[in-house]
Amino acid sequence: MTKAGWFGLPALLAALILAFGWHIAVGAKTVPLHVVLEALVAYDKSNFDHVVVTDLRLPRAVYAVLVGAALAVAGALMQGVTRNPLAEPGVLGLLTGASFVVVMAVGYFQVIDPAFIPLLAALGAAVTAALVWGIAAAAPGGSTPLTLVLAGAAITGFLAAFISLAHLLDQESFDRLRVWLTGTLAGRSTDVLFWALPWLIGGLLLALLLARQVTALAMGDETAVGLGVDVARVKMLAMLSVIALTAAAVAIAGPMAFVGLVIPHVARIIVGADYRAIVPVSAVLGAVYLLVVDIAARMVLAPIEVSTGIVTALLGAPFFVWLVRARL
Amino acid sequence: MSVLVLSPWNGRISLRLHRHALVVAALLLVALIGVSVASLMSGSYPLSLRGVWQTLTGNPPEEIAQTVLWEFRFPRTIVSAVAGALFGLSGAILQYVTRNPLADPSLVGVSQGAGLAVVSAIVLFPEMNLVWRPLLAFAGALIVAALIQSIAMQRTGGATMRFILTGIGVAAFIAAITNTMLTYGDIDQAQAALGWLAGSIHAVGWPEVWSLTLCLAILTPGLIWSARYLSALRLGPEVSIGLGVPIRAARIGMITLSVALAAFAVAAVGPLGFVGLVAPHLARRLAYSGVGQHLLLTALTGALMVGLADFIGRIAFAPVQIPAGILTAILGVPVFLLLILKTQSTRQL
Repeated sequence: MTKAGWFGLPALLAALILAFGWHIAVGAKTVPLHVVLEALVAYDKSNFDHVVVTDLRLPRAVYAVLVGAALAVAGALMQGVTRNPLAEPGVLGLLTGASFVVVMAVGYFQVIDPAFIPLLAALGAAVTAALVWGIAAAAPGGSTPLTLVLAGAAITGFLAAFISLAHLLDQESFDRLRVWLTGTLAGRSTDVLFWALPWLIGGLLLALLLARQVTALAMGDETAVGLGVDVARVKMLAMLSVIALTAAAVAIAGPMAFVGLVIPHVARIIVGADYRAIVPVSAVLGAVYLLVVDIAARMVLAPIEVSTGIVTALLGAPFFVWLVRARL
Repeated sequence: MSVLVLSPWNGRISLRLHRHALVVAALLLVALIGVSVASLMSGSYPLSLRGVWQTLTGNPPEEIAQTVLWEFRFPRTIVSAVAGALFGLSGAILQYVTRNPLADPSLVGVSQGAGLAVVSAIVLFPEMNLVWRPLLAFAGALIVAALIQSIAMQRTGGATMRFILTGIGVAAFIAAITNTMLTYGDIDQAQAALGWLAGSIHAVGWPEVWSLTLCLAILTPGLIWSARYLSALRLGPEVSIGLGVPIRAARIGMITLSVALAAFAVAAVGPLGFVGLVAPHLARRLAYSGVGQHLLLTALTGALMVGLADFIGRIAFAPVQIPAGILTAILGVPVFLLLILKTQSTRQL
């Protein structure tokens, strides 16, 4: 790791802790930071502030950390493996695919067991990924950033139309899912978190294990082969990790677009081209980013709360445009 | 290839007409009339063909037929056809000017810009007169188009694929702002705005018929005038300059025209996706022709598409009405994917 990396990691962790505390402190009732700390260390049931912190705000902050980390690492892997600066679970349609399957299963087949939600999300993400890459690879010129983004946009539009259709035909079952579909960290039950956690941890570990080979892949398939990397196998495993991470994020928070696009680029600016550094830094940065975004989502139009997914899109879309301009 | 050449007024205007294309245009017109009549006949109050005819000619079989047909079904049928034609034409012009087979007002954010302007109006000024909607939509769409142009064009003076990618990013951004508006807005207004955003035609009445007819009347001369520039522009900037086309002015004029067509259609029926993308390609597949006739065929194809989408959406899951926008997306995406697979110009990136 570079010198900047060694200095950066403590700074990043400090930022994470700070954002975490800030995220818990703000809201309808502002809780001072030292009370937040007290609530976490010495919980007092009779103190109203402590109850607010542990029961309402702490879960949400944890979701933000997990989802942010998962999406950022998924984006980093996709960008590295495909050498495509625009690759991201949201832009390439994986988020929509995952949420489409979840919505259909919950709305039509009344699947309510939280154990199945991450599994269904993974299924949706995997099928969508196969479709998008299949289409892009079959296009003349192969899977360029353009064909991948176009195929992703097409699949997203297609599935979104079906989600709207299902919603129209059965308002009651689908109304519950409306807010979730815009990407939100509010009001998710901890059961889902419990079932999503294994996917998330598995995906993250796999990503860390693959990081060395991904660094080689990011220099080109030929270089990677020359360096002794089993390209097909690494790509397959990286895809598995991306799908697991996407599934966990979607199960917890719904489709949260552009998080996976922005963070890896920032991480690359900080630590350079080594994925052994990019993956962990992306995870921490993603967590910080989503915490801050979620604070903004709750504060900007207070007392109305904007869906966190809307804010990530507001911030991420201009970045996407800038990338198109700067990198392509 | 049999070609008719008409040159009235001593050849001041001459038209090259491909006979095959004329036949196809006639067939499309017949199909459009067929769909329109079917659309007039069906619904929760079914009418026979004879009943429709009698009502339209002024002696309805029942009093209620008069209301149902004149107040609801007839305006709706007309609006869906005209809006479809406008979307198709808008897409065709955009494709010619940007020389990009994938250009579509709903893909590059132009429709979303118009949508955002109208949704903001619905949410922030609910009492606003409907008359202003088309103009607002036009303003919103124009701003977005200018934005995309300025972002995409600066570097290499016209990289077409960057235009599309920039448009996709801008469209996502605008959709997010629109969503914020909906969260911020009152629930009733948000519901109204949502229905409109899905591209539903069921709420239209005579005001929309008149506004669309007016738009068509204003923009058609521009279209006819533009055909010659389009036929030059599609050959590329070098050839266009050689042919004496003021390309900068022509480009800006054409894109404004395309944006206007899309914006007025969006103001009436909401942002229907993929019509502007699919209609020009279908028209090209149906018959080989020059630019002018291709525009005509595109308009007819677009009208047929939206008319059909509205008709299917009305009867497929009755009594639930499926907004035409959902159906155009479901039908349009497979065609879009086919285009991605076949388009050679993806190599340009």
